[in-house]
Amino acid sequence: MLQLVVGQLLNGVIVGTLYAIIALGVTLTFGITGIVNFALGAFMMLGAYFTWYFSDGLGIPYPLAVVLATLAIALVGLVADQVLFRFTRNNLINGLIVSIGLISVIVAIVLMVWTTTPQNMHYVLPGVFRVGGVIVPKMKAVVFGVLLLVILFTYAALTRTWAGRAAYAYAQNPEAAALMGVRTKVLQAGVAAYSAALAGLGGGLYASLYSITPEIGAGYILKGVEAAILAGIGSVMGSFAGGIIIGVAEGVGSIFLPSAYNDAYGLVFLVLILLFKPAGLFAVSSR
Amino acid sequence: MKLLLLWVPLVLVPLVIHNNVVLTILIFTYLLGILAVSFNLIFGFTGQLSLFHAAAFGLSAYATYLAMAHWGVPFWLGMVVGVVFVSLVSLVIGTICFRFNLRELYFAIVTLAFSELFRLVILNWNSFTNGSLGINFTLTPTLWIPGRGVVPVQGTMMWYYLSLVAVVLAVGFYSRIVHSWMGRCFASIRLNDDLADTLGINVFRYKLIAFVAANAGAAVAGSLYSFYISYIDPHYFSIDQSLAIIAMALLGGSRYVAAPIVGALVLTALPHVINVNAEARLLIYGLILILTILVMPRGIVGVLVTGLRRPSRAPQTPERPRHAA
Repeated sequence: MLQLVVGQLLNGVIVGTLYAIIALGVTLTFGITGIVNFALGAFMMLGAYFTWYFSDGLGIPYPLAVVLATLAIALVGLVADQVLFRFTRNNLINGLIVSIGLISVIVAIVLMVWTTTPQNMHYVLPGVFRVGGVIVPKMKAVVFGVLLLVILFTYAALTRTWAGRAAYAYAQNPEAAALMGVRTKVLQAGVAAYSAALAGLGGGLYASLYSITPEIGAGYILKGVEAAILAGIGSVMGSFAGGIIIGVAEGVGSIFLPSAYNDAYGLVFLVLILLFKPAGLFAVSSR
Repeated sequence: MKLLLLWVPLVLVPLVIHNNVVLTILIFTYLLGILAVSFNLIFGFTGQLSLFHAAAFGLSAYATYLAMAHWGVPFWLGMVVGVVFVSLVSLVIGTICFRFNLRELYFAIVTLAFSELFRLVILNWNSFTNGSLGINFTLTPTLWIPGRGVVPVQGTMMWYYLSLVAVVLAVGFYSRIVHSWMGRCFASIRLNDDLADTLGINVFRYKLIAFVAANAGAAVAGSLYSFYISYIDPHYFSIDQSLAIIAMALLGGSRYVAAPIVGALVLTALPHVINVNAEARLLIYGLILILTILVMPRGIVGVLVTGLRRPSRAPQTPERPRHAA
């Protein structure tokens, strides 16, 4: 029983980092452009398909395929931002609806190109780690490590570099930031592309673990938004923690309740948090 | 009253056109029109993006059928069960959301969370709802017609007139609300709910009224729609369904009570006019959503009434201070 719990705990942490990488994109985009980009889930799905196509279709080595897919998704995100979201800045409802429209467009295109058949990538890294009866596939450990590094890198970049401080300044007060020499248009486009790249990377790593279908984006963006709101939207490490919390709740919860209700944990958490601590779990002061 | 005359040609349609496909498209337009018109009360007129509408639609369809199957009640009583059930659920969800003052994104997310929770329950409660397989109806609604007694509602003609009457009643109901003092309270909430509160409008109460009244309309639509196609499954609750509702309201024009019916007509007729598969349909939905928001935020009816010129003041949705939870 203990092994099972520990195993599900680890599994939850790993799935949770995937939620966290989406949540990070959600938080960054919201902080800088004032909209919640639901299309990040679709970008993640697209990233998974690109990685699978580059790797199994074109024969590019997996790590390179992930990098290429991430760059490609960054470009997709940049184009979407300049063509669509540029016109919905700070208008949450319009941004939401445009992003929902973009999701259908992307899903429809993926359905046309790759059909509904789930795609499975070759095993990138077979084998498992065994630690006292608990089994962790090597690839899952790698995915966790890479995502953790990227999240820490993002945190460091936001707190230690000029661009990061500019982003924080802009999120606090756009006019003042502009007066201090922050090129706001470039910053917004850059953050939109970076958030898309994060989602694309998440998708690329996802591809090595699970089956790829056009529907995966919907589940992950929902968890990502839940995680971002859970911890208080706008916080980098908060979205990381939020992702882990939801992942672990699902992993451990599936031991006790039918896994059909897995998706419900995050939703219940979310509703409770929004009702009783609307500024987020780790917020110091409310509002 | 003059606007009522616009409906007259629709009454005459089946006498002129005997094409079943055209009539079927119109039936779907009316039934989905009720759904879109009711959604517009909370979305277009009160300014709250509720993602619970598809769930209200589905819940009522299930409640109506299950009440008929388990308690043996006739269809119309079943519909009352559906509407009452959905209204009570909306009352609870609305109270939770508005008591805690959830706005914009947060309201959208929490209503989405509740509709997902209901979808999960419907999907997994196999003994009661038959899970993902759904239920094929064997029951039909009955109607008392003067001179003919109680007859089952079947055939295109009967459904045409039934759905037409239903949509006219729905438009009448919602336009009465919107054009009353209550409608002006909704408008003030849409434009600035802090200001509305300052002016002494009970924001909580009117948001709740709008939410429940809108969902009740979705409940009526759900009962009728499910019995017209004689089938229910958890797809009634899906995000695609919510998407279609938003698309209809926006495309028709979210500033006019009856305009979403135009949106429903376009989106229902489109797949028949240009013969396309499911993927292309999804693509078209997405493009319509994007283009409507970016190019003609006032919808087809809005453009017909005032032209493509952008309004000089007051954007579609007023900007609010960011990060307002």
